[in-house]
Amino acid sequence: MYKYDHIDQTLVNERVAQFRDQVARRLNGTLAEEEFRPLRLQNGLYHQRHAYMLRVAIPYGLFNSKQLRTLAWIAEKYDRGYGHFTTRQNIQFNWVTLEETPNILADLAQVEMHAIQTSGNCIRNITSDAFAGVAADEYVDPRPICELLRQWSTLHPEFAHLPRKFKFAINAAKEDRTVLLCHDVGIELYKNSAGKLLATIYAGGGMGRTPILGSLIKTDLPWQLLPTYLTALLRVYNRFGRRDNLYKARIKILVKALGPQEFARQVEGEWAHIANGDDNFTQSEWDRVAKHFTKPAYKKLDALTLEQIIKSVPDSEKTAFTRWYERNVRPHQVPGYASVILSLKHHGIAPGDVTTAQMNAIANLADQFSFGELRATHEQNLVLADIEQNQLFTLWQEAKKQKIALPNIGLLTDIIACPGGDFCSLANAKSLPIAKAIQERFDNLDYLFDLGDITLNISGCINSCGHHHVGNIGVLGVDKDGEEWYQITLGGEEGHHAAIGKVIGPSFYADEIPDVMTKIINTYVQHRHDEESFIDCYRRLGIGPFKEAAYLNTKAKIQQANTEELAA
Amino acid sequence: MTTSTPIPFNPQVIRFSKGSKPVLVPNEWQVWNGEQEEGDIPDREHGAHKVLVPLHWWITHHQDADIIKRANQGEIGVWFAADEDVLKHADIIEAGKKVWPLVAAHFPVFRDGRSFSTAALLRDRLDWQGEIRAIGDVLIDQLLQGARVGFDSFELRPDQNLDIGLSQFSLFTVTTQNSWRAKRSLLSVVSA
Repeated sequence: MYKYDHIDQTLVNERVAQFRDQVARRLNGTLAEEEFRPLRLQNGLYHQRHAYMLRVAIPYGLFNSKQLRTLAWIAEKYDRGYGHFTTRQNIQFNWVTLEETPNILADLAQVEMHAIQTSGNCIRNITSDAFAGVAADEYVDPRPICELLRQWSTLHPEFAHLPRKFKFAINAAKEDRTVLLCHDVGIELYKNSAGKLLATIYAGGGMGRTPILGSLIKTDLPWQLLPTYLTALLRVYNRFGRRDNLYKARIKILVKALGPQEFARQVEGEWAHIANGDDNFTQSEWDRVAKHFTKPAYKKLDALTLEQIIKSVPDSEKTAFTRWYERNVRPHQVPGYASVILSLKHHGIAPGDVTTAQMNAIANLADQFSFGELRATHEQNLVLADIEQNQLFTLWQEAKKQKIALPNIGLLTDIIACPGGDFCSLANAKSLPIAKAIQERFDNLDYLFDLGDITLNISGCINSCGHHHVGNIGVLGVDKDGEEWYQITLGGEEGHHAAIGKVIGPSFYADEIPDVMTKIINTYVQHRHDEESFIDCYRRLGIGPFKEAAYLNTKAKIQQANTEELAA
Repeated sequence: MTTSTPIPFNPQVIRFSKGSKPVLVPNEWQVWNGEQEEGDIPDREHGAHKVLVPLHWWITHHQDADIIKRANQGEIGVWFAADEDVLKHADIIEAGKKVWPLVAAHFPVFRDGRSFSTAALLRDRLDWQGEIRAIGDVLIDQLLQGARVGFDSFELRPDQNLDIGLSQFSLFTVTTQNSWRAKRSLLSVVSA
């Protein structure tokens, strides 16, 4: 993975010093809270219900065992012994103090980490495929471009105060594992027949109050020209994005208002003046970065089939191991290797939460089995990317001890959830207790396995940090006269067939949600054809039968407020 | 395209010319919001005898005899509101190069970043070589960004500490993208 040189290290150290001074000015009262707020947000520091929360960047989800041990240490020393992996491949600590934050950042800087631009109205941490560089379906390794753009966007002076937050995702595989179309800018990388690395640009995607899928605005952009093209794009947004209304400030609103074609035309118009400038990436910059993304020292191994792998597994373990293999193991580019997803979705634990002890244990597993590297997924799980197939059984046994081996990846209880009203001051409603209640209701692995692929995403408010819009089943917390209600959407999907879910109707009380889930799932089970997935079944049947079942004998009443809610 | 509130005056400004060190200098320029009575351009308020007028006011009045006279004496500059599209006024700005000693871009609130792009366009596209001043809600923690996109003078909001302001420009010794002042540090790296 990427290793800092003196430029990266100096920049991060200087950023720590700058923030330390800003915090000191806040604490001595010369910097008002209102003016400090954007500064701390641009360094990942939120003020939540109970305490400050620090979001640490894991650029494009890639990190190493040493870094994870430092995160574990930070959780222990400055927090309450755990951290929370987010949907944008970052990790956050929920119980830090303002006074100690500069020291945390200094500790992070020692292992080449930071919290730069993990929040605020600026270019956020860039996300990518958690399987970058190892995925069997990859066109090209996106990591050099991810890193080049990380550096380009870091402390970019012109775009430090955009109308609203700005999120990049980069995908370079056949399947999209980045929710590309729900990003302000989505970049798809591929090589043409002449071997040239090119980019396709989508703009104006986003979730929130007005979920919109990104529009194609540029094809065949040579990788070198990304900085000037993105400058042009961001400049148009910075100048003309709305600043009068927080809810209409994202680029998706500008792209929608202008129309994607007109937006693209304006970007091209701006770009024409700067496209040939020296802001573009050079080959030596590529070389400086790309040399860190070479393949690790893979052994020459034969590819094994599942039958071959389970030969050495004791009979009593075969079924459970096979189940884990089918759900949590992914194919690899290199024969004899596989990637493993460690589930951070054990039932009853907040999705994405890991304790200090687990972090240390996972770091050891990374060292022992996977060249010391790790990846965070946008589904809030972790990946060990380079596992020898003949080590899978040993790894599985170790992972079980740490409660990170639940074979539920992609299943109903692999829930994406934001921290919600338990922590977040923006939230209208809690999301973690809902996730827990659903996991308790569906705590039968045989049944979950039989249900197959279903994504269930929960957001505690319309900011949609839990990505509820693109869950096959989405749950959104809404506030009605101070009470917490939950709106259900169906039919959302990620990937190339990304779709925004449809609201099924009036909201439910929290205690109704497990029953409603049961009714929705039962409807699927009742109507599905052989091997038909939930989303395919939904698409065939439409929302009708699910909706009808969901409202059978519920307390949910159609209230006036719902009319407004449905229109939103 | 004006602000409705009176614009405060800071008697000192930070001048940070390209290639020089940032210094405090007396502020000779009063920012006028253009909202007083017709033609009533202020004179010698706060001891500043040079006036920055809003672009739209300049467009209306630049052919008035007394304005021509004052402009010829180098006493009139122009400022751009945050929502002003400078590219639409390229011809006026081109002509202004001969008469305006400086231009300014306004920050209605510190977290409104539009004027960063305005300064960048003035430098890159409109080839404005003279001084560009940041005015309005200019706070210490925006100085560095401003200096990198093309501003070379700063009228800080009067409550800001000027010494801390002066120290901001040397916080970072490396950069990872080009700026008006310098190319990115990364270009100096010879790859192994």
